[in-house]
Amino acid sequence: MSDRHPIPTEHAPVSRRGFLKVAGGGVAGSSLLTMLNARQAPAQIKGTTLRILTWSHFIPAYDVWFDKWSAQWGEQNGVKVKVDHIPHLEIPARMAAEFAAGAGHDIIFNGSTILARLYYKSLIDVTDVYDALGKKHGGWIPAARSPIEVEGRFYGIPLYYILLPMLWRKDLFDANNLKAPDTWELARVAARTLKSKGNPTGIAFSHCNDANLNWRSVMFSFGATETDPSGENPTIDSKEMREALAFAKALFDEGMTPEVFSWDDASDNRFLASGIAGWIHDAISAYRTTESTNPDVFKNTYVGMEPAGPGGKRVSVSAPNVFLTWKFSKNPQGAKEYLTALVDNDKEGMVASTGYNMPFLNDNAKKPMPVIGADPKLQVLQDFPKIVAFFGYPGPYTPQIQEVANLFVLPDIFTKVARGTSIDESLKWGVGEYRRIFAKHKRA
Amino acid sequence: MTASLPSGGPDATSARAAAVSVAVGTRSRGWFQSQSSRRLAFGYALLAPAGLYVLLLVGLPFLFSLYLAVSDANVGDQTAAFIGLANFQAAWEMETFWIALRNSVVFLVVAAIFKSVLGTSLAFLLLQNFRGKKLVRALVVIPFTLPVAVSVLSWKWMYDSQFSVINWALSRAGLIGGYGSESWPIWLGQPHLALFACIGVNVWRSFPFSAIVLLAGFTSVPLEVLDAARVDGCTFFQRFRHVVTPMIFPILIIGFLFDTVFTLSDLSVVYLLTAGGPGNATQILPVLAYQIGIQAGSLGRGAAIALTLVPLLFPALFLMLRNIKRRDW
Repeated sequence: MSDRHPIPTEHAPVSRRGFLKVAGGGVAGSSLLTMLNARQAPAQIKGTTLRILTWSHFIPAYDVWFDKWSAQWGEQNGVKVKVDHIPHLEIPARMAAEFAAGAGHDIIFNGSTILARLYYKSLIDVTDVYDALGKKHGGWIPAARSPIEVEGRFYGIPLYYILLPMLWRKDLFDANNLKAPDTWELARVAARTLKSKGNPTGIAFSHCNDANLNWRSVMFSFGATETDPSGENPTIDSKEMREALAFAKALFDEGMTPEVFSWDDASDNRFLASGIAGWIHDAISAYRTTESTNPDVFKNTYVGMEPAGPGGKRVSVSAPNVFLTWKFSKNPQGAKEYLTALVDNDKEGMVASTGYNMPFLNDNAKKPMPVIGADPKLQVLQDFPKIVAFFGYPGPYTPQIQEVANLFVLPDIFTKVARGTSIDESLKWGVGEYRRIFAKHKRA
Repeated sequence: MTASLPSGGPDATSARAAAVSVAVGTRSRGWFQSQSSRRLAFGYALLAPAGLYVLLLVGLPFLFSLYLAVSDANVGDQTAAFIGLANFQAAWEMETFWIALRNSVVFLVVAAIFKSVLGTSLAFLLLQNFRGKKLVRALVVIPFTLPVAVSVLSWKWMYDSQFSVINWALSRAGLIGGYGSESWPIWLGQPHLALFACIGVNVWRSFPFSAIVLLAGFTSVPLEVLDAARVDGCTFFQRFRHVVTPMIFPILIIGFLFDTVFTLSDLSVVYLLTAGGPGNATQILPVLAYQIGIQAGSLGRGAAIALTLVPLLFPALFLMLRNIKRRDW
């Protein structure tokens, strides 16, 4: 039978399909909410298996907690949970292989490379879970939707992001009567002063993720943007971008050494831990590692707010970490329930990560936050959720931006300028690369 | 049926009849039942596993990458449409592609020169008789047999801008200044130095392979031939140039082909050391293809970039293999 001709009524017409949609949605929604309240999975996932592929976290203690928590959740819900850890740089290749094979893990982690928009046709739409979690935990921070939203639907669950704040040596700043690096200009003055005393600064100009993150923080704080809000058009060719490039050139000439051209993501950690760096702009793993490797440096290292640009704007470009579920997963229900429980227990994860993981949910971001709220030097990190942005800002994190990031186009523009190519010429090259990549994706 | 003698054997008449009938039968069943055809079939049956192996592990992936290169395939989509040479055109429009192509050629040529010199020297060294020769032979293959990730990460440490053991040794020897001085090399940060640092690791990993190939060739040259040349007054280099090299030429060419393919397809060294940076100074085609094809998900463009060298390599391979064949005849 066809339902093309709904029975006319005197009141609002309700078709059978419409009725089923509303009723089905209501039943599914209320079941999910009931399940969330009960903190217990329904019986149908008992006896199933759930395979999870995630990265090897920079804080090993987090992996220990993650594995233990996953096993416990599995025991409580009768699900056999298997967690595999691999280096985050290998995840895109593994994802491509699993997609081609149509088999693999049920849940897959994305870190430095976010592929939700690229694979969304093959990922489970988890809008119901995303909405339910948001409702339960006071909503998501504005940046949360950028990496996982496609046409108003959500294809992944954001778990945490990683901040790159200022890490500066208070003893060196005090000894040279320098003000805390609250603005990029103050950071530059400090770099110039401290370099002459043997304590230069450093931001990677190389092909590494830190370079992608840090130089975007600088340019966005200077008022430049990467794409328009739709994410369809690059917008880097601007006066503000030119100012940011001029600033980077001055910062390099006055405050850095050429070793920044060779750095990887861990080089600035070592730079700080060695006692050489006057300040760096990096994740707090750098701060944490000095705790054991160089206690004197640790004692004098302070964590600062994202420096403001000339107009007072602060934008902290962070690395989002999300979990995706394949459509070919044999246990989609188990995956949804696992992710729901994982986000519900995010505060435990924040503790296990020693403050490294930052929450996407407003309730978890309320002060005092676990670990960082109790540490006077880290408390400032609680102010970051308001200024967090991701690649593509103010537009979303699209596949074309992912390609721009994979090819390190933005750090290369900054590198060209630092090496002496004129700002106009460097920007012209960069704009050309952006346009070519965007045009290619548009045609596709 | 043939009649049997009391002793059990066929009589002469029936045996002749049987022989005739066999001959007639063979003709009637045609060439496919002949001994030569059976031998041929047996030969092909023996070759089949190797042929199948090449077809499945080389031929099919190659054809698949050709298909990807002319399609708009991306990692997130099961379907792909034919788009002709658009992926190649897109690659050629990239400035980075031309930098990667140039670097790949420089990488190949420079690495080949160093591997030839070092490989030949090592092979000659290993030909000599000395104590512990077996141990040395085992040790020299270590770079080649170590997992690439382990060895490259060790080199990354040795090239570290701050804690480089190479710089430390040079500094202690008084050849360069201390950390932070102008003369302190930033191995992976200075464009030309970074490319040569990557080439250095590739050479370090692969020259033992060159040496082993050459060693196999050298040991196959009969000593009498070398002795005859020596008696005729040939110097070491004359013997090498006019006696050894022509005799081991096919081995040299095969070794060279292997090495060319290994070098051009070496993604790991550059990817792990510099990811193509700084500023694309060490960008090579395999890394670019990986970044675009796998990390950014554009399989078609990645495949097109990876296949770029095929038209250049094919004629070279053809000429080299033809040369070997001619020498065989």
